[in-house]
Amino acid sequence: MRKRTLLFILLSLLALLLAACGGSSEEPAAGGEESAQTTEETSGGEEAMTFKVGLVTDVGEIDDKSFNQSAWEGVLRAKEELGAEVDYIETKDAKDYEENIRLFADQGYNVIVTVGFALGEATAKMAEEYPDIYFIGVDQFQAPGTEKPNLAGLIFNEDKAGFLAGALAAQITKSGKIAAVLGTDLVPPVVAFKEGYEAGARYINPDIEIISTYHPGGLDVAFTDPEWGAATAKQAIDQGADVIFGAGGKTGNGALIEAASYEGVYCIGVDTDQWLTVPEARPCLVSSAMKLITPGVFDLVKMAKEGSFPSGNYVGEVGLAPFHDFEDDIPQEVKDKLKEIDEGLRNGTIETGYNPGG
Amino acid sequence: MADAKIANGAPPTRWQRFAQAITIPLLAVVLAMLVGAIIIVIAGANPLGGYTAMFRGALGTARGLVRTFEKATPLIFSGLAVAFAFKAGLFNIGAQGQLILGAIAAAYVGFAFEGLPPFVHLPLALAAGMLAGAIWGAIPGALKTFTGAHEVITTIMLNFVAINLTDYLANGPWKDRSPGNIVARTPAILPSAELPSIGVVPLGLLIAIGMAVLAWWVLANTTFGYEIRAVGLNPAAARYAGMSVGRTVIASMAISGLLAGLGGAVETLGIVGRYQPGFNTGLGFDGITIALLAQTSPLGVVPAALLFGVMRAGANQMQLYGVDAEIIGIVQGTMLLFVSAPIIIRKLFRLRAPEGGEEVVLSTGWGSSG
Repeated sequence: MRKRTLLFILLSLLALLLAACGGSSEEPAAGGEESAQTTEETSGGEEAMTFKVGLVTDVGEIDDKSFNQSAWEGVLRAKEELGAEVDYIETKDAKDYEENIRLFADQGYNVIVTVGFALGEATAKMAEEYPDIYFIGVDQFQAPGTEKPNLAGLIFNEDKAGFLAGALAAQITKSGKIAAVLGTDLVPPVVAFKEGYEAGARYINPDIEIISTYHPGGLDVAFTDPEWGAATAKQAIDQGADVIFGAGGKTGNGALIEAASYEGVYCIGVDTDQWLTVPEARPCLVSSAMKLITPGVFDLVKMAKEGSFPSGNYVGEVGLAPFHDFEDDIPQEVKDKLKEIDEGLRNGTIETGYNPGG
Repeated sequence: MADAKIANGAPPTRWQRFAQAITIPLLAVVLAMLVGAIIIVIAGANPLGGYTAMFRGALGTARGLVRTFEKATPLIFSGLAVAFAFKAGLFNIGAQGQLILGAIAAAYVGFAFEGLPPFVHLPLALAAGMLAGAIWGAIPGALKTFTGAHEVITTIMLNFVAINLTDYLANGPWKDRSPGNIVARTPAILPSAELPSIGVVPLGLLIAIGMAVLAWWVLANTTFGYEIRAVGLNPAAARYAGMSVGRTVIASMAISGLLAGLGGAVETLGIVGRYQPGFNTGLGFDGITIALLAQTSPLGVVPAALLFGVMRAGANQMQLYGVDAEIIGIVQGTMLLFVSAPIIIRKLFRLRAPEGGEEVVLSTGWGSSG
């Protein structure tokens, strides 16, 4: 008898679920949900044609407090300011890059943003296959001679951002020892951050001691290993370092959070303003070496809409995040020096010495 | 339920044994999807629509079908690898490492050996993958035999070695040096090493199914297969019966690794076209779930892997529908829970435990070194 009761409960649960779905199943199926949203959102717009922007993430989540999220925020700004209809797909398997781009392309999207250099090849291929769609490849360098009119690579000079971080670190260290806890050197932007950081520090103080450590693991763990990041930061601090630059996703975040538990140790974040994304690190976080992805993506989407889309590489801005609570702790001369360096990096009078491929 | 009839000592018929064997996995799949549905509802989406989008994306179009087959193929191999070791009482957690070494070995032969005709080049690349996987599988087998080191520990450790070794090769000596490439990966394989498709069916899938049948046949009909099962059920008794337990353990692990390595090779030669770190993530680990869902039956691995293929291929469509792809992970994890703790299902549905026979033993315990 009890078996029957259980079966009955399960069946009624199933029926309940089916009923719950019944309401919406009257809508057109498969993609029908999408078009239903479309009409809803565009009914207020003045344009007859909807402007649709899709985003494909790299393997990772849309709310990763880093790349994917910054790019998505740029797309969301396009939704607000340009009335675009937007959606995203999180890539779960690196082999699906093309397929995920295609899902948007086949649904008539106008602009497709792909996030991360790993999607570069798939994006270029799809740009060729769908010449009427604009593609924005975040962190995807377009090699000379391979540019496509409907594809723009949003790239950043990470070495310049790293240079500023290094110059800041060298000016606030008391021990004369600074450290960097990094994701893997398999990823070129990480190398650029590191080289820039070291060059920036030596620009201020040629004799400074720098302890830079790459995560020894593969791509699948190098950016998701906060424990290693924390342990490495601790090691560097034990060796006398008092500024920690954490560059490498969650691994770097682990280093920042570890540094926050020490008195008199500063830390510097990466990619986005980590004051906002890693509040646990606030006790030590003086600034972050930022790639301004959100405005870069938004600007490119806007240009696509206005018909002034640039092909080839589009260099986005880099810079240091605000000092937040450390605003008063950082001496004015340090701020002036950073400003001077920032200008020097922009007009080319200061070079980071980083030369990829060299 | 079929097992009600088996009560009084009469040996179960083939059909009854089959029904008994698939009861738990089928219920596990259904229950796991129900759990997934409940979570989808809690997340504010429509589970029926979500699942429909998944199945439509995976099976509704020719392209979807191709993708399902492509996704299922390496999973059949890794599932077979884990299932085969299970039969010898070994828990091979190292299918991932064996698979990626097979993948990179096949890639190397694929790009480095120029001027070979396809009927030489392709088999050679596949063989390289098998060999690499077999060696990587044999190491924990030998460690277990000669030092007593438990294979669960050694295979996990060797996964890390394999990951770092392949990363090093793909970013070092075997790196793609073509202009403009900054990514860690090997050069593309030559056309003569490419594994073709027959219509919507990748040749790799046919090889996978062939290997499943072969593994089943070896286990069921050969002396070697009998020894493997004997060692798996009771190493002490097998030794007493005059079998070489150590040799069987090493051989089973080598074959297990060979199957995983072949999976990696097929993936490289048929899908990815080169070795690139991160492109084979999770294939070996999903093999564990698949082998357990298949109740360690080599033939059962095929439908189990196809189910996973459907989920992996349809997950993206599901996302566009508004259901997070993480649901798939939850469903698969719940499935694993139900099949690895069948007592939950037995209690839920008041099923009788099968009497004697070769039931899946999930852990061989820490002390039971062969």
